[in-house]
Amino acid sequence: MKKSIYHITRGMLCGLILLLVSILLLDPRPGTASETSLLETIKKVDEPFDDRSVTQVRPIVQPTVLAKEEYQGGSFRVLARKQDIERYKCSSCHTAKEVRGKSAFELTHGNVVLNHGQEGSALSCIDCHHPEELDFLEDKKGRKIDFDHSYQLCGQCHFRQKRDWLGGAHGKRVSYWAGDRVVFNCTTCHDPHAPKFAKRFPATYSAPLN
Amino acid sequence: MSCKKIDQAKNIPENVRSGPDASSTNGETSSRRTFLKGMSIGAAAASAALVTGCVPGADAAASGELKLRWQEFFKKNYRLMTQEEKDQTVDRLERLAALKHNQELQIGTEPPLENVLYGYAFNITRCEGFMECVTACVTENNLDRRTNTQYIRIFEMEPGQLDPSSGDGQYYHEVPVDNKFYMGTQCFHCENAPCTKACPTRATWKEPDGIVVVDYDWCIGCRYCQAACPYYGRRFNWGDSEVPKDEITQKQHYLGNRKRPMGKMEKCTFCIQRTRKGKLPACVDACPTGSRVFGNLLDPDSEIRYVLKHKKVFRMKEELGTEPKFWYFID
Repeated sequence: MKKSIYHITRGMLCGLILLLVSILLLDPRPGTASETSLLETIKKVDEPFDDRSVTQVRPIVQPTVLAKEEYQGGSFRVLARKQDIERYKCSSCHTAKEVRGKSAFELTHGNVVLNHGQEGSALSCIDCHHPEELDFLEDKKGRKIDFDHSYQLCGQCHFRQKRDWLGGAHGKRVSYWAGDRVVFNCTTCHDPHAPKFAKRFPATYSAPLN
Repeated sequence: MSCKKIDQAKNIPENVRSGPDASSTNGETSSRRTFLKGMSIGAAAASAALVTGCVPGADAAASGELKLRWQEFFKKNYRLMTQEEKDQTVDRLERLAALKHNQELQIGTEPPLENVLYGYAFNITRCEGFMECVTACVTENNLDRRTNTQYIRIFEMEPGQLDPSSGDGQYYHEVPVDNKFYMGTQCFHCENAPCTKACPTRATWKEPDGIVVVDYDWCIGCRYCQAACPYYGRRFNWGDSEVPKDEITQKQHYLGNRKRPMGKMEKCTFCIQRTRKGKLPACVDACPTGSRVFGNLLDPDSEIRYVLKHKKVFRMKEELGTEPKFWYFID
């Protein structure tokens, strides 16, 4: 009786060992990557990429200025704005000299249609433009803001967009993913007087897939 | 038979063999494979000479083109080529384009950059469906105008839906429509790409920088990869592609926007001819709303990594385990 029990336990032990070996050999998990592995491998890399290592990056043609903010700990550049403002510098007209009635329409910015802000709290000129020093903008704390650095002004209300813009989730880079970071300014895409994109027809259409 | 053409044809096997693998053919014990190769080239060249006729003083350009085409026919898979062989085939392709179509092309073979893995993010809150990405892609990649081939598709979606197959991919009206959102699809360059496993000739593979590419000259057009792709990311060339001559993008890449022959698969390559030089893909460059983010996943300071870290992201059909390197995100 005792001997048979001994035989049974020995048999069970052998079976167990066989089972373990077979599990180890025939791993049921697929050899392919698991669901999180790509993100895990990406996150493991914490050394910054040497942007200068891409040698074929050329300097941006458009005029840029060094941003007064930081991007993930480093400096970056934004596209300049002033050269695109038709009648900058403003102070060349806004002086003490008299204006003739004849050219009044031309000179009063009649072409600017203001459509910024919700109904009831729509913005007026003076909300952004400096009331005295017309070559500058003015934020709500009364600080002078350069036209090239309008993100400092826009970010007062659109702080979420500004946060995303600094990080890179809003707006876009100019031409290159590598090299020194140069990004679009707020006003490169948005008309500050009517920032919402107008409705229009798409550039093309799609045929059904074959 | 002092025919010029036959002489040239006889020379061809020499030229083909004079690659870096010549050592294996120079040995006395030439293998069955190299023997057959030489035989087939000789026979084919001779038959070609017969077909074209052995007219003394036949126009030199035509014979040059023939020679180039034979050499092209016996080239290797891109992954097996040495840099020298790559340069040779690119040179042949450029000369063929000049001879046949009078085009001046610059075809590159830029290798993948080190420490780079490309990733893409698409902002479904910002996209307004203007489809300027699509036209930019068509121009950049020399896509067939006759069949209106497009790598990118934009779907107009009902709120709450996240599956593009429920959206309208053929809209043509003023956009954006209130209370709708727009979602773009293209090749997602899966890290675990099913299409590359389906290919019987190994003509499609994932490059070290994460771009899934096609060797158009090794593709046999069986379309298994198209069937294997869960994202409808691949396109098939039913005919010879037609591109107006003045609209051809001349800066090309062997694995990218060069001319695809009839009956080959093609797809988005993240604009390999641009991205390997540090440039943004054409769709990202063209997007008027900034909905498209592109960058190096292995760079913790890149924009794409910022999106992955700080935004609500998802990938399409994530449960398949294909690991697309294309994320959708919301503001």
